[in-house]
Amino acid sequence: MQTDYTRRDFVKRLSAATMAALAAGGARVVEASEALPKLPATADAMIVLWMGGGMAATETFDPKAYVPFEKGMDPNRVLSTFPSIPTAVDGIRFSEGLERTAAVMDRATLIRSYTAGDLGFILHSRHQFHWHTGYAPPQTVACPHIGAFLARTLGPRDPAMPAFINIGQRFDGGESEELKAFTTAGFLGSENGPFNVPFPDAAKEVVTPPGGMTPGRFESRDRLYRKLLAASPVGQLGSTHQRESLVRSMDNAHRLLASPAAKAFDLSLEKPETVAKYVPGGWDFSRRLGGDFNRDGNYEKNNIQRFGLGCLLARRLVEAGARYVEVTTEYIPFLNWDTHEQGHEKLVNMKKAIDGAVAQLVLDLEERGMLDRTLVVLASEFSRDMMQEGKPDKPIQNQVPVPEKLESMTHYGMHRHFTDAGCVLMFGGGMKRGHLHGVTADERPCKTLKDRVVIEDLHATMYRAMGISPKLAYDIEQRPFYVTRDGSGKPIASLFQKNLPEA
Amino acid sequence: MGRWNGGETPFRRGDDRRGFLGLISELLERFETGLGEFVLIENSYLILVRFRRNTSPPHLESFGLAELAPPKIPRGRIEMRLCFVGHRLSARGGCVGRLLKGMLSFRWIRSILGLGTAAALQAASAPAPTAEAIRQLPPTAAFQVDFIKDVQPILEASCVKCHGRGKEKGGWRLDTRETALAAGDSGVSIVPGKGGESRLIHLVAGTDPDEVMPQKGKRLTPAEVGILRAWIDQGAAWPANVGFGRVPANNLVVRKPELPPGKAGHPLDRFLEAYAARQKWTLPKVVDDRTFVRRAHLDLVGLAPTAVEWATFEKDRSSDRRAALVKRLLSDRQRYAQHWLTYWNDLLRNDYKGTGYIDGGRKPMHRWLYTALRDNLPYDRFVRELVNPTPESEGFTKGIVWRGAVNASMTPPMQAAQNVSQVFMGVNLKCASCHDSFIDDWQLSDCYGLAGVFADGPLQMVQCDKPTGKLAPLRFLFPELGAVDATAPRSNRLEQLARIITQPANGRLSRTVVNRLWARLMGRGLVEPLDVMQNPAWDADLLDWLAEDLAANGWNLHRTIELILTSRAYQLPSVDEPEVAGQKFAFRGPILRRLTAEQFRDTLGQVTDAWFDKPEGGLESLMLEPSAAAATGTLPTPFWIWGDAHAATGVPPSTNWLRREVVLSVVPEEAVLYLQVDNSARVFLNGKRLRGTESSDWATASVYDLRSGWGKGTNVLGIEAINGGDGPNPAGLLAYVRLRSPGGKPGEKGGQTKLDLASDAAWKASKQLPARWPAVDAEADWQPASVLGGESMAPWNQEPRLARLADGAVVFGQVRSALATADPLLLALGRPNREQITTVRATAATTLQALELTNGDTLSRLLHRGAEKLVAKHPTGRPLVEHVFEQGLGRPPSRAERQASLELVGNRPQLEGVEDLLWSVAMLPEFQFIR
Repeated sequence: MQTDYTRRDFVKRLSAATMAALAAGGARVVEASEALPKLPATADAMIVLWMGGGMAATETFDPKAYVPFEKGMDPNRVLSTFPSIPTAVDGIRFSEGLERTAAVMDRATLIRSYTAGDLGFILHSRHQFHWHTGYAPPQTVACPHIGAFLARTLGPRDPAMPAFINIGQRFDGGESEELKAFTTAGFLGSENGPFNVPFPDAAKEVVTPPGGMTPGRFESRDRLYRKLLAASPVGQLGSTHQRESLVRSMDNAHRLLASPAAKAFDLSLEKPETVAKYVPGGWDFSRRLGGDFNRDGNYEKNNIQRFGLGCLLARRLVEAGARYVEVTTEYIPFLNWDTHEQGHEKLVNMKKAIDGAVAQLVLDLEERGMLDRTLVVLASEFSRDMMQEGKPDKPIQNQVPVPEKLESMTHYGMHRHFTDAGCVLMFGGGMKRGHLHGVTADERPCKTLKDRVVIEDLHATMYRAMGISPKLAYDIEQRPFYVTRDGSGKPIASLFQKNLPEA
Repeated sequence: MGRWNGGETPFRRGDDRRGFLGLISELLERFETGLGEFVLIENSYLILVRFRRNTSPPHLESFGLAELAPPKIPRGRIEMRLCFVGHRLSARGGCVGRLLKGMLSFRWIRSILGLGTAAALQAASAPAPTAEAIRQLPPTAAFQVDFIKDVQPILEASCVKCHGRGKEKGGWRLDTRETALAAGDSGVSIVPGKGGESRLIHLVAGTDPDEVMPQKGKRLTPAEVGILRAWIDQGAAWPANVGFGRVPANNLVVRKPELPPGKAGHPLDRFLEAYAARQKWTLPKVVDDRTFVRRAHLDLVGLAPTAVEWATFEKDRSSDRRAALVKRLLSDRQRYAQHWLTYWNDLLRNDYKGTGYIDGGRKPMHRWLYTALRDNLPYDRFVRELVNPTPESEGFTKGIVWRGAVNASMTPPMQAAQNVSQVFMGVNLKCASCHDSFIDDWQLSDCYGLAGVFADGPLQMVQCDKPTGKLAPLRFLFPELGAVDATAPRSNRLEQLARIITQPANGRLSRTVVNRLWARLMGRGLVEPLDVMQNPAWDADLLDWLAEDLAANGWNLHRTIELILTSRAYQLPSVDEPEVAGQKFAFRGPILRRLTAEQFRDTLGQVTDAWFDKPEGGLESLMLEPSAAAATGTLPTPFWIWGDAHAATGVPPSTNWLRREVVLSVVPEEAVLYLQVDNSARVFLNGKRLRGTESSDWATASVYDLRSGWGKGTNVLGIEAINGGDGPNPAGLLAYVRLRSPGGKPGEKGGQTKLDLASDAAWKASKQLPARWPAVDAEADWQPASVLGGESMAPWNQEPRLARLADGAVVFGQVRSALATADPLLLALGRPNREQITTVRATAATTLQALELTNGDTLSRLLHRGAEKLVAKHPTGRPLVEHVFEQGLGRPPSRAERQASLELVGNRPQLEGVEDLLWSVAMLPEFQFIR
């Protein structure tokens, strides 16, 4: 390969490749969107921290009355299984186990009134589809993930970096097909699709030459390829459109793998003490994260480092120019936040996994002067409750059984799915600091009482922060497909630090 | 009441919303005066009614909710009706919708009342404009208005979207002058000669701020209003040849054009020559043999030609060897099916995994599809079996249902309507699934009208998630092709629909499919996009001729494919110029095409002999194909056996235990059991139960993968064979084991040794459960099995074939990618997730894809496995390099290529070097494109 390329060359070629890809069938912005006013962005990058499986609000950021476990207790009495703790903001309390995140509440906007889609009989991945695309499946066209919309609209901040990076989700567990259905650029074309990094500890490997390949061998392979390319009789016939774009895409891949940007993926370059701030107990990079979906009740405890490593990676990637990074605690049916039993005990570990990681991510971004222009959004597909399934007025089939009296810790926890009020925690990116939005009932059902937020408006807020109108639409089969459903989303103006100019 | 005998004027479709409304208002009036015995209001909903056309007296059907007999109506309901009339009269209608709970649109209510009583009529019709209002209008344009130049652009820009192209908001249509002058729901809009008094002018001028036209989009400028006003003043002239009605369906009527004159023998060449002449384009020479042979192989069987296949072609010195190759490849049933399966899986969104499977919301149909392709099922039957399916083929119209509540536009019947119209008719109904389409003429009622055929009961139309209260009458997309009887049961309706779609008069079905084939083989359709068959073809005669040729020749898709591949058009050099939007397309040759993910993966498989291991979806039993070398008698002969010598004439339902001992000195590399049993069986190898693709009837062989579980020494194959049924009936078992060990006989390098065995007298049987079964170590219970007779014996009367089938097919270990679930490599290279129909895959190279190719695990592992196999076969560098070029690119390497490759690989190739050579060749455009 030519080793004397300059960064500018690379930038130029990459964007040319992107243009070529678009010309070859990527979706176009619809004309009406071109007339939309340019909106000043309050954020340049976005990190979504995904609490896959349904994070119970009453056990995290919206604690209610704590009723400690007693043998034979009436489950109806239990609203929270942890006591609450104060945060850096008077009047806002979190659930015990989130002390470090509580200490940065003064940098946060907390929404307690997020209402998940009304999609009937619960399927987590279906609500996750709805959260990530803004549309409830199935749809007649392949809906793009919010990350793909951002990638398509804004591109990467640094051309060497994939624009949409998805950390921590594997696709070989339960509901994997359903997860794949929204972890995609859909009709926007695969150029805008997710760059998946399922194992954050091994992220380096996704951008280094394949296993067992030394840098020397990688280069000699590339040399042979180039020689053959030059010698090929087809090569001599002169350039053609598709051939050029193929060769160019190979160049780009090679350059990313050989580029300094690839270093951002290497977590072992971080100091151990930094790693320890994100990861309970630190991490030894000669270790590998486990692969078993073990349902013996210890999974959460054994995988407590996974999310923190993902957050650390997200920070490095955003520093290196990524546009949208998502880090998930990982959705695996009946594991992590998807507590169908032992909810209390599992959440002790889930909170350990996220508390330091979230807080440290915020503090690191702040220290680097990046928090103001990076929107961090922590969210989940819906909340949970001990008794109430779905919406208060709509009973849903197949509920997790709750005994009339609790005899063991197995049944002590939030084991049912609750859609009427959930928490979204936002940091930076132009959002207010120390701000609370939404009020929920203190008695069961702990539903939204005030300032309800639905996905269209939450997305509109996120897009608006990135300088994108909720009415932006792309053309698919000659019809407009909007970034928020039918262009209906409205940014929640009260969450922003500054007054929004009229859209 | 189920019938109503009071109506004189049956409601007719077509002109007849008005007639229909008249009828309803008549019913309303009778109700009001207490004369009728019918009920139109139940729980504050109107029951809409309609008549079947051809019965006498007209048969009244519910058009909405169930009818009630008069005695069941409580008094309160009557008041409800009076109440709504009263409200309508006093308050401009505001609460009508509320009273009716949103079931009926405002316009309908207004229309109904408008035709109802005199009072209501008066209230609904707009009042005449006042003199003051007329004075406020923009002035009349002071020149002689020309309809086409001045008026038409205004109507097109501001009116037609709602009042033309089949739409009639407010009951007013701009199809022709006549319809424009007729009264809409609120009265007459255009009074020729009197622009100032015409309601149209006041609506567009905005006299009443509450009612301004157009309701959507930009308001008319005063100058434009002036032009319309002048046009009406001047008599509202309107040329008869101009209209804004529904655009007539294109590519629908069957038409067989004459072949253009010329010398060419191939019919498509005549069209091409005529086209070239019209275009003043000098046809280039056809491509060389290498290019053609690679194209044809990749297009017909999805693999690049092997060196042997190339040699076979070259050996043929006849003048039509290209045509002969095409025929040969088309008759390669298995490889043809394994290639085209990919295309049809995309098109029918059929997959081994995907959303919906998780709780039965989706049904695969691989076996049906594979069989249809393998046997070249005539396309009309193919379509009939998908539209009016058997349990095997119902996955297509069953759709994909995620758990939970589903949006109205995506219920299974709506999905069926969208998919049937898209795939078979080239009609995109996706817009019209939520509302009348803005981009073409399709309307919500078209989509629901078709969806209703698949539904269990009448469907209520839902517009953008809001129920409209209207029921959609069944309607096929193109009523001129026929109608489905709404009163027939579902299965019967599906049969009718299938018949309508596949009838010879439907020129759309044949055009749509030949256009798809043309596009698949040539890189671009005659009509584009492929799913908008309303668009004109770049050569309509060619399209029509091909379509009619298909229909006239038994809907044989092979024939169409053969016609295309043997045509000069297919054999022209490929072109690679991106099409410019807005510019008229000109055909200059096939478009340069990228290999599909499957073609790429399979061609690599062929270069390296590294394939997928097992087919998905139980396809192995369909992959059997008799070997040619069968008659030589080198294969053991299977016999029907059982534990009872009279089994063929009938034995009571019972279980037999059968076994065969096999002594091996080497562990076999291939081991497959083919089993036909009357009626069922459980198979054990060395005591371990094995599951296979088990056939439910004796006539089809079940297939078991026996590759694991063998040891050196004595092995026992045990079968628990069950004769089912209620009384005595024939029982028998026919088995053949394909058993091959690596390494051939002396002097036969790299081959296999056949250790095959078949059911015969060497098998043992027990009629009681043997001790310690399935472990078999006691001899006491066992007798020699009874040999009943040869394969062709009665009652089975089967042509002797099992040994040949087993010998002819390698079903495990060399499986093509179309038969495998998607891995990251296939996904990166563009296999879609098949949640939606994919008619054309995106083929653009992207950086993410290149990353997968450059450092992805899947390819890396594949290359490693492939390198191992290659090095084992070619221990020296030069032959290995030759092989990779021959198999991968269909040609020997040039001197420079050989040298560069050998530099890397060396004389004694190591795995790493071979992996890197394979990678470098596979990344070449020459490998990845079909030139």
